[in-house]
Amino acid sequence: MLSRPARALAAATMLLGLPAFADETVRISGWGGSEVAIVHGLLTNVSAEKLAKEGITVKYEPVDGDFSQFILNGLSAGTAPDLFYVDVFWARSVFSAGQAAPVTQDASGFAANLLEAFTYDGKLYAIPKDFNTLAVHFNKDIFDDAGVAYPSDDDTWTTLQEKLVAVHKALPEVDGLCIVPEYARFGAFALSTGWTPFDGQGKTVLDERFRRAFDFYTGLVKSGAAVMAADAGQSWAGGCLASERAAIAIEGAWIISALRDSAPNMNLGTARMPKDPESGKRGNIVFTVGWTVNAASKVSKAAAKVAELLTTEEAQQWVLEQGLALPSRTALADNPWLRGGQPEQMASRVILEGLSDDHVAPYFFGDVGGSWMQPINAALNSVILGEADADTALASAQSAFDRMLAK
Amino acid sequence: MMARLTATEAVPSRRRLPASALRRRQLAASAWLYLIFLAVATILAGTFVLAFMASLKVDPLERPFRVYFDQVNPAAWIDAARLGQEGAGDVLWGGLSPGAKVDFSVTYAAPTDTTIIEPKAEIPRRRPGSGIAAALTRYYAADYASIALTSSSSATMQVRDEGGILQAWQTRTFVYEITYRSDRQNGPRIERTPLNLTAPTSQTLIDSPISPSRAERRGRLLSWDNITPGALGLIFNNYRRVINETADLQTGKSLFGSWLINSLAIATGRLLLTLVVASLAGYALARLKFRGSRLLFAALIFSMTIPAQVTFVSNYLIFRDLSLLNTPWSVIVVFVASANVLLMKQFFEGFPREIEEAAIVDGANHFQVFWKIILPNAKPALLVNAILAFQGAWNDFFWPLVLITSPPEALTVQVGLLSLRRSFGGAQGDWGLVLGGAFLSVVPVLILFVLFQRHIVPTQFTKDIT
Repeated sequence: MLSRPARALAAATMLLGLPAFADETVRISGWGGSEVAIVHGLLTNVSAEKLAKEGITVKYEPVDGDFSQFILNGLSAGTAPDLFYVDVFWARSVFSAGQAAPVTQDASGFAANLLEAFTYDGKLYAIPKDFNTLAVHFNKDIFDDAGVAYPSDDDTWTTLQEKLVAVHKALPEVDGLCIVPEYARFGAFALSTGWTPFDGQGKTVLDERFRRAFDFYTGLVKSGAAVMAADAGQSWAGGCLASERAAIAIEGAWIISALRDSAPNMNLGTARMPKDPESGKRGNIVFTVGWTVNAASKVSKAAAKVAELLTTEEAQQWVLEQGLALPSRTALADNPWLRGGQPEQMASRVILEGLSDDHVAPYFFGDVGGSWMQPINAALNSVILGEADADTALASAQSAFDRMLAK
Repeated sequence: MMARLTATEAVPSRRRLPASALRRRQLAASAWLYLIFLAVATILAGTFVLAFMASLKVDPLERPFRVYFDQVNPAAWIDAARLGQEGAGDVLWGGLSPGAKVDFSVTYAAPTDTTIIEPKAEIPRRRPGSGIAAALTRYYAADYASIALTSSSSATMQVRDEGGILQAWQTRTFVYEITYRSDRQNGPRIERTPLNLTAPTSQTLIDSPISPSRAERRGRLLSWDNITPGALGLIFNNYRRVINETADLQTGKSLFGSWLINSLAIATGRLLLTLVVASLAGYALARLKFRGSRLLFAALIFSMTIPAQVTFVSNYLIFRDLSLLNTPWSVIVVFVASANVLLMKQFFEGFPREIEEAAIVDGANHFQVFWKIILPNAKPALLVNAILAFQGAWNDFFWPLVLITSPPEALTVQVGLLSLRRSFGGAQGDWGLVLGGAFLSVVPVLILFVLFQRHIVPTQFTKDIT
């Protein structure tokens, strides 16, 4: 990893008595896809010198398979890397098993709502490396051809739906939106009504407000505004947008790197999530990923140092300016790059604004973990496919929640 | 049987069929059988052929599925070779090198009442969005190439409209020249030269040396991923990407090669171990009478009914305690050879006992009999076992997935293929890479089968008989 001069430099700093790790090797790991460019770029461009100064050699192993499986497997077998990604929605299972070591003491620069999800028993177990929220990404050419106004920040559910129906009417080969029966997208609508995943007693109650969002989301297909992604031959909404099958996609900033590969020239626009017409409020889900130190690591101090170096303001600024991810440090929220006019810059800006929507909840479900979403996903699926009506589906989802949270 | 025959013969109307009719019937029957075999073979080979064709495409998932596209069109191969030659002097793999001068002509057509305007041409800075390519791409053609229109010419063509009536359409051909910028003559060789042409949708592209990779912006923009591909670069682009885009980030070395080597080492190791265990155990169970041999055999048969998933946790923990995780040894030794033992046992039981007895009379002990008499004659059974073991180990997915998780260069090819599925938002895969990798992974096994299939049938005995 380190070039010879870098090693020499490390040795020199050690001789001079500067704080340095005695040429320790830290294995770090995260998932593949667009993340490879981020971590590799940070290691070779931004942090290389500092790492050399500390005498740390980093061995980076991106994992392209199922990362949570890889890491949970590795942690129990003792083969896990020293420093690794945790996604906020399964991070708790790593923290509560005592497999993570608390990270840096100074977390002042990071957005508070990101830190909250990584805090367990009053200690911070992961440094948030970036975040995402949902936004409405749209293909301007489709709206131009259909003669329909672009989605805007002032849209409500109903006005957005009307626009999508109008697009489909004008261009029958194009659908408004591809939807997936998943809380990860639908949740933003439910949250905007003021509904919360857990009430004061820690119970999940699918109340009237939830029902309103549920009826809207499941009714999108029937109204002609949307199609199930699977029915369009795609596995996610971004695939539909890239192939120009759908006019909009409700996704996070990860769609940018996917479009770079599959539709590099798209005339992309991005608007904020639509408001609930009754409450007039916006909802959003925050997705975040952090760096966690393996509690069993032999080089945990060096690993924590690497985590720190990979999330410095300088590092995050580089990641932001490369258009790769949004910074978890609040100081970068008004970086000039975000004010630029390129589609990628505008999309990033809108995603950043999503963090300050009226009802924002992290993609995090306490000790229950990701399986909390199952009843809602099942209800969405069965109603959209016409296998059950909303009353039955929600009643069975409610009883599933009651059983799940009774313990 | 006899009684019924005589009864039918007694009926005068049921005469014996004439020989020619009988032969016709036989022929018809064998023709049907042949056709059925052919149909089955077509279906089996057909999926293979379709998958192979898809592995060559820019978008393997395209719908509707085309059977005729640039990668199977010899005219496009020739053009691609020319473009590769002009771009980098490389007919096979193309590229863009200093001194390049590439002519690229496109022809648009439109009805006579619309004017064809010159498309806006640009060499875009196309940045890979994901994977190793995004991390390792350093040079972009946009920084080193310039594009200029050198000439354009007009013509007319006859087009049949929906009603079948001939119409005269006008066409215009634009010739572009892409050059390596003269102020950057010391620049690097660039693998891909993308091109964007933006034109109104009222005019249609009817001719270009190689077809656009995709139409974007609802037909306004035609985009080529690489206009200097070279012949092989055009046909096997996905395969080249499998090799280039699975590189180790630190060394830049292709991971696909090390995956193949790992798979080969594991399959060979497991083959040797299987042969040793299966032939020794098979011989013992077939010939040596010892207390508990029947029980042992029953246990062996019973072990075949236990799925790997049942023993996987305990096996995993044992390998962890032996620190064999993430080493090829774990995958080599974790195997169940009961089926192979059974196969060898059945073979040895069919072996003439007299030959062995003759050897024993001559003073040979059990091991000598096994080593000098039995094994040399057990070649067909050993080969069948070897092929089964090798193929089983090569195609094994479960154990390598569980036992070898890191580093990336330690994976086997089958698990490595899984990692070719890049994930965006957890969903989208790069199927061109997956299909290309899958076909590359088939090649070594295919070669082995071609080499060894003639050894499977003949043996010492069959040679003597025939």
